[in-house]
Amino acid sequence: MNAVTTIARKEVRDAIAGRWLVLYAAVFATLALGLSYLGQKNLGGLGFENFSRTTASLLNLCLLLSPLIALSLGAGSIAGERDRGHLPYLLSQPISRLDLLLGKFAGLTSAIAIATIAGFGAGGVVIATFASSVDVSTYVTLLCLVLALTAVMTGLGLLASVVSSSRVQALGIAMMVWFVAVLFFDLVLIGAVSQASLGGTGLLVTLLLNPVEIVRVLAIIQLEPDLEVLGPFGSYLLESVGATGATAILSAALAAWAVIPVAAAAWLFARREI
Amino acid sequence: MARDVPAVAATGLTKRYGRTTAVDNLTFALNPGEIVALLGPNGAGKTTTFKCILGITGFDGSVEVAGKSVRRHGKDARQLIGYLPQTPAFDSADTAQTSLRFLADLKAVAVAQVETLLKRVNLYDQRLMKVGELSGGMRQRLALAAALLSDPPVLLLDEPTANLDLQNRQQFHDMLRDLRSEGKTVVLSTHFIESISGLPDRFIVLEQGRIILDISATELAARRVDNRFLVNLNGTAPAAFLSALAHIGIRRDHISPDETNIEHALAHELASRQKGGEAQR
Repeated sequence: MNAVTTIARKEVRDAIAGRWLVLYAAVFATLALGLSYLGQKNLGGLGFENFSRTTASLLNLCLLLSPLIALSLGAGSIAGERDRGHLPYLLSQPISRLDLLLGKFAGLTSAIAIATIAGFGAGGVVIATFASSVDVSTYVTLLCLVLALTAVMTGLGLLASVVSSSRVQALGIAMMVWFVAVLFFDLVLIGAVSQASLGGTGLLVTLLLNPVEIVRVLAIIQLEPDLEVLGPFGSYLLESVGATGATAILSAALAAWAVIPVAAAAWLFARREI
Repeated sequence: MARDVPAVAATGLTKRYGRTTAVDNLTFALNPGEIVALLGPNGAGKTTTFKCILGITGFDGSVEVAGKSVRRHGKDARQLIGYLPQTPAFDSADTAQTSLRFLADLKAVAVAQVETLLKRVNLYDQRLMKVGELSGGMRQRLALAAALLSDPPVLLLDEPTANLDLQNRQQFHDMLRDLRSEGKTVVLSTHFIESISGLPDRFIVLEQGRIILDISATELAARRVDNRFLVNLNGTAPAAFLSALAHIGIRRDHISPDETNIEHALAHELASRQKGGEAQR
């Protein structure tokens, strides 16, 4: 077993022992069930909605919750080891800094993925048992997108962890990223776009600047491409290049978001004084 | 490890933090199978020297471990070093066994070695206890076991006995003597020389990042301190010794208990060198 795998396994083991993994999975499953049930009640029926409706309801919740957990865990990783005084000892082992960073990234992403799959899975099984129609593929699509967003946000959290001098500072940066990406992006940029009269390219670049927005638009394109729900950035993209082109562009951008923060964190970590 | 290759060789080793020079142009070669005491007050550069040898911080100059450049082959060089930090860095929620297994995996060492070492440091019965529940001495022994996992030829021990009581310290010293007899090079860093008294073969004293004394224990012990000598009676009754001295004109009132020990000898040596340096200036 190589060093990256060893470190990743320890991260997963620590996550299970720390119980947050179980708690996170339980929260996801509860919310999946709750959203489905409440959605059905609002429509005047009793019981559970089908997969598609549940998936759409879950989308906004996932875009809020999964970046939050991934960013905070990523931010706490390297900075946490530094705060506890464990970093020099870990690096005194026959491993490289890149091994440590990739091990942390792989471990945290896997741990969050396990919790997310378990939560979604439990919710999905219950809904499939009682729902009026079954559309598993949309549910699985959303799950995959959430996992991709988790990887991106864990990478951004790691980057915050590497550039910070303490865990508190890293968490502060991570929370700021979450606030801007999840809550503030639409409001600020819609204002900026109208003021600056951005053209088509400007709109597209703006969309690609935010991985949360990328996942949101990708998810809506896959689930139900409604221009109102897509927002100005997504609508422009869909009209310009069609669903297939938009999916390809957004997927490539998401992959870049998954790689670039981790690469930047590795570059900085290799040069930082510990 | 070949006997003619130094276990650790540093040439012009320098480490700066901004404008502060923590380690200044150190050059030394440590031989296989010797216990070296790296002495100096807090901030003298002992831990920084260890970090440079481990290659976990950048530095100027060169450091080689058994002929391997730390800068170019950091992972290979670290495989040859067992490091015991000042404060053992284990997760308190992990058991002693789990902690060692994790480190064994990182070092690509067989799991069986974990059991062997837990027995060697007398922690086998406590292997399922959480690290947070172990005493300071037990944690220190666990850290020593971790340092020994890959059977490294070089051990860097940072203030290893600072938190140990007398009994644990003695056990720790015995273990280090065993390791020396196995041919391992042990470097002990401390600012508290009494804690390692009688153990080192060589003393390197740092002050403000520079080596101010590098001397073997034999050479140091042979140095006369003023006009006093430390006499090993080797089983002879003190009365017989006193009587023999009286025959050559040394009366009982010339004799007083001598507090000379390695610490005094070292302090004396440092003071005389300082005087010599001032006289030269």
